[in-house]
Amino acid sequence: MSGYDPMAGFHEATPMLPHLAAEFLLWLWWSAASSGCRADLGEELGVVDFWVDDRLAFRTPDEGRAAAVITGENPAESPEARAAIAGGKVLRELRLCIRREEREFSVTLKAPNLDLAQVSLPQVVTGDGEEALYDRMFLYEELHSLVAAFFQRFAQARSTSDWGDATVPSIRSWVGERMVALDG
Amino acid sequence: MGILSGALTVRRYRVDGDVPDGFRDSYADALRSYAFQDKSSPTPGEELAGWVEIHNLLDTGFEDLNSWLYDRYAIFSLRVDKRVVPAKLFRAHLEKRVAAWCQEQQRQRCPASVRGELKELLEFELLQRTLPRVSVHEVIWNVTDGWLLFHNLSDRANERFIKLFFETFGLQPQPEAPLDLLGSDATLAEALLTTGGMDYRPEGS
Repeated sequence: MSGYDPMAGFHEATPMLPHLAAEFLLWLWWSAASSGCRADLGEELGVVDFWVDDRLAFRTPDEGRAAAVITGENPAESPEARAAIAGGKVLRELRLCIRREEREFSVTLKAPNLDLAQVSLPQVVTGDGEEALYDRMFLYEELHSLVAAFFQRFAQARSTSDWGDATVPSIRSWVGERMVALDG
Repeated sequence: MGILSGALTVRRYRVDGDVPDGFRDSYADALRSYAFQDKSSPTPGEELAGWVEIHNLLDTGFEDLNSWLYDRYAIFSLRVDKRVVPAKLFRAHLEKRVAAWCQEQQRQRCPASVRGELKELLEFELLQRTLPRVSVHEVIWNVTDGWLLFHNLSDRANERFIKLFFETFGLQPQPEAPLDLLGSDATLAEALLTTGGMDYRPEGS
């Protein structure tokens, strides 16, 4: 099974569009703020509560590394976070909490791949046995479905002309209003 | 550990390709063929990599299916060892060796060629006594649904993992991109492919 060619599979790989992940994270943040932290994710997943938790990381559009990291009790409401967007930075990481029925998940979503980091699962079975593994994978797959459902909602919104006509002005205004309130 | 307990930090991959009949035996053989093997004469800075069982990084037999195959999930770890002699300690030992040579030969200075030989010998000796720096990254592979999680986000570790996985199983894991979250909705994915980044700064910023 030798003869590894590192470029061999690249033709089949899904294109990576760095701006999409950053925009998705911003949309999640704005959606949580403008929807009362509640979303209907469809028939299968139902209504969930979601909110930005204790970490936001930003980068400048032309650099991969984090340029500003805001942590603490409520970074989503901090003036530094809005100032980062107003200053042209884009999101690189966002710590998200999702509550579905009685289960609460926490995850740091990392652009550009939307890797899942520091995932905290509402695990019932503990230990390192078989049952605990199945429980963790069941919960991981539920979290993956939730993130995918949010991304699908974002994709539907992002691919219409309404995005440029209504959503972008609304996000700009949300950032701007907060900045004005803070200045005042 | 992250796969079995604690916080998960993972990159997700698609693994396309048919699962062969009797994959339990063939995958066990493949894991054994590319299992981690220590080297009796390590070279400085060299990295050794191979698969180990998830419950103990010293176990490389993959003989007991119950230790690495749980229903549809294959779980194992990538172990990477690197042996490096601490630079300050190395320099200190070398100076002692050079001084001892000068005294023995009753010379003021040690020629560069001799210094080079002493250096090489010392490096070999100290490497034998140095414990490796060990990294272990867990893998969980849902064999029937064709996806896996690699428990590390660094580019270097992921590149090494992809290469060894391909060598071991003949399958190319593809890192999932955000567009993969759309599943089979090709129309939506196509629409997003034509988008470019937008400016979200409020007016007047």
